Formats: sequence, C-alpha cells, structure tokens
Amino acid sequence: MSEALIDEIATTAWSVILAVVPLVVLFLAFQFFLLRLPRKQIAEILTGTAIAAIGLFLFLLGIGVGFLPFGRAIGAALGALDQVWLFVLIGVLLGFVTTWGEPAVRVLADQVEEASNGSIRGSVVLYAICIGVAVWVGLGLLRISYAIPLLYLLVPGYGLAIVLMWFSSKEFVAIGVDAGGVATGPLANSFLLALALGAAASMESGELIVQGFGLVALIALAPIISVMVLGILVRSGTRDKE
Amino acid sequence: MMNMFFLLREKLVEVLKAVTPLVLVACVLQFTLVQAPLALFLQFLAGSMLAVVGMVLLFMGIDFGILPMGKFVGAELPKKNSLTLIIAVAFALGFATTVAEPDVLVLAGQVEAASPGGISRQAIIYVIGIGLAILAAIAMVRIIGGWSMRYMLAAAYLIVLVLSLFAPTEFVPLAFDAGSVTTGVLSAPVMIALAIGLSSVLAGRSAVSDGFGLLGFASVGAIIAILIMGMLPS
Repeated sequence: MSEALIDEIATTAWSVILAVVPLVVLFLAFQFFLLRLPRKQIAEILTGTAIAAIGLFLFLLGIGVGFLPFGRAIGAALGALDQVWLFVLIGVLLGFVTTWGEPAVRVLADQVEEASNGSIRGSVVLYAICIGVAVWVGLGLLRISYAIPLLYLLVPGYGLAIVLMWFSSKEFVAIGVDAGGVATGPLANSFLLALALGAAASMESGELIVQGFGLVALIALAPIISVMVLGILVRSGTRDKE
Repeated sequence: MMNMFFLLREKLVEVLKAVTPLVLVACVLQFTLVQAPLALFLQFLAGSMLAVVGMVLLFMGIDFGILPMGKFVGAELPKKNSLTLIIAVAFALGFATTVAEPDVLVLAGQVEAASPGGISRQAIIYVIGIGLAILAAIAMVRIIGGWSMRYMLAAAYLIVLVLSLFAPTEFVPLAFDAGSVTTGVLSAPVMIALAIGLSSVLAGRSAVSDGFGLLGFASVGAIIAILIMGMLPS
C-alpha cells in the first residue's frame, strides 16, 4: 500500500470517529439519565450506528481515493473549455446527478414520505431538490464565468425564498429548509466544487477558494426555493380538484 | 437472516439507482471532453464500487441505528415537562455535532485566513457551533410552542441579508457556506429524526410541517455567527 493511501485511510477513519462519537456519547448519557430503553433496543441502535459508521467510512474512502481526484480532473478539463454554454450545460447535468446520489438527500426524501404517511411522495421531493440544484449550479457557473459578484445571486435568492414561503404550504416550507441543509454533501464537494474551481482557475481570478465556497452557498439555497415552488404547485393542484 | 438478505438487496437496488447516473455521466465525460490519465479513471471506478458498498451499509445503519436514536430521544423529551431540558438537549446536540464535523474545521481555517484580527481557529469553530446550537434550541422551542415556521425563518433570512450587506465581502461566501458544511451525513438524519420524534408525541402537531425545518433553521445560525464575526472590529 502506498503512503498516500494509508494517509487517506487514517484521515477518513478519524473524521468518521469524530462524527460518530458525539452522537453515541450524547445518546448514552440520555439513555442513562432519562430514557432507559430496554437493553435489546439499545444493542440494536448501537449495532446500527456501528454499521452506519463502517458504511460512512467506506463511502468517504471511495470518495477520497476515487471521486475527488477525478472530479478535479473533470473540473480542470471543463474549466478550460472555450464554450461557456457547454461548460454551464454540463454543470447543470452534473448538478442533477450528484444531488441524485447524495446520501443525506435520499434519507430526507424517505423521511418526508414516511412522516407524511405517503401523502407526499419522496421521489417528487427528490426530483425537486435535484432540479433546483441543477438550475442554481448553472447560474453559479455563469456567475463565475462572467465575474458577477456572488451577492447579486444570493440576495435576490434569499429574497425570493422569503417571498415564496408565504405562497407555499407550511409543510413544503419546512421540508425545503431542511433540503437546503442536506444538498451539499461529499458528492457535491467532489464534483460541483471542482467545477467552480476549474472555472475560477481558467479565469486567473486568484480567489479560487472564495469562488468554490460561493457555489456551495448557492447549492444550499437552491432546494429551499425549488421545494417551496413544488409546494405552490401542489397547492394549486389540490385547489383545482376542489 | 432471510429478512436481512432482502433488506440488503433492497438497499443495494436503491444505492445503484442513486449512483449510476453520476457514474455514467462521469464515464461519458471521460471519453469525450476530459480524457484524464487511465490510472485516475480506474481509480474513480474502484472508488465508486467502494462508495456503493459503503452507501448500502450506511443506509442500513441509518435505518436501524441513527434514525431510531433521534426518534426515541425526541419522543422522550416532552415527557419530563421541562423546557430547560429540551433546550439543553437541542443545544448540546447541535453544538457537539457541529464542532466535530471535519468540514467545519476546514472552513474555520478559511475564516482564520480571511480575518485580520487573528481569531484562533478553535475559537471560530466554537462560535459556529454556538450560533447553530442557539438556533437549534429556538427551533425546538418553536415545535413545543407551535409557532409558525414562516415568521421565524423570514426573520432569520432578513437578518442574514442585512448582515451580508454590511459584512466584509470576503466573509460572505464563507458564512453562507458554513450553513451547509455544518450538516453531516450522520448528524443531519439525527436532527431530522429528533424533530420528527418530538412532534410525533405532541398533540396537534404535524409530522411534516413541525418535524422538518429544525436542521435547516439551525444552520442559519452558523451563517449569522460568521457574518457577525467578520464585522467585529479587529
């Protein structure tokens, strides 16, 4: 095994431990002082958490050794393209498919379906999130290509969210806010961030990291807006039936 | 044992559906526009296999361990009739999961580099954690009190917008990014499950409009925290 791989394994293992330990410690403290679940249930929860930790480790390791370096290669190659429209189009496509695969987005969509007893389909929410991210990745890449300040997108975006929330149903407002939190995961970091960095590098603007972070901010905003819009569509759809 | 087998198969199908489009698009790009070195491409394919296996286990573990963990704790909270306890649990959970998130560490390094005042990285991490934890606690109290999410959210976004117009420009992207790096693959399901568990035992609460929103609302706390940090005189 190469040293780089061993290094990657160690870093990944450490970040998984950091993510799991606080949860387990807080849960055990809670169990000890208040909850007092039967031992069998505790064993099940802890086993499940251990499986999740192993799974997260393998997932992040796969991302670290495979996705991140390849994503960087994609970003560099596409960022050097002369045709901005092609670059943006591929960004839109990648925005959709990375969000489609993001684990936390799927968990959220499943939970929506379960909590609503199936009245809100998880797949519809998933599509709304993916479409939202795709559109805003496109806007974000255009912004970088034409050197438009980030605030020109963020301020109208959040302003739009504030307006939309009064027209959407309160269920979809709540779902949308959470969707904004889960849309930026490890997959987006590997591929979408790399696109932003690639575009910024070809522009020699010198603020690579700031540009990359700016795209992540837009990806977090995107599902808030698209899920709220979905709520408006669903609402007008049910009104038509009445 | 048979059950386990079916569950594994079900999860595998779900994961393949989730990951295949991304891998396909990446392959098409490799053979058309990107043409990265073969070794890098093979590494990507090997990484995707590892990621698929990892995701299957991750989804199973979240179903069996992570979600029940959050739901049991959330459902137990109101039984003690103590608002202090609920605030304390939301605060502790929000703070602990945030300061342990690896991405937050990276972000804190960026904030440190952007700030002239020489705030230490550790201090930045704690400020982000406290900002998120305060809004997580407010969001929990909202579920108990049955307040409207809209007013709180609109107020939070307005604060963010006003602050971002006055904060130094280099802080703004960092601050907005903080809102998303604070939610990890494990901590996000726990926070969602906690809120669903809490709203499931309170009378007259909707599992959807009260169960969701906590995670996203709390993350606005991290944005506000960094924007304020950027405006402090050095």
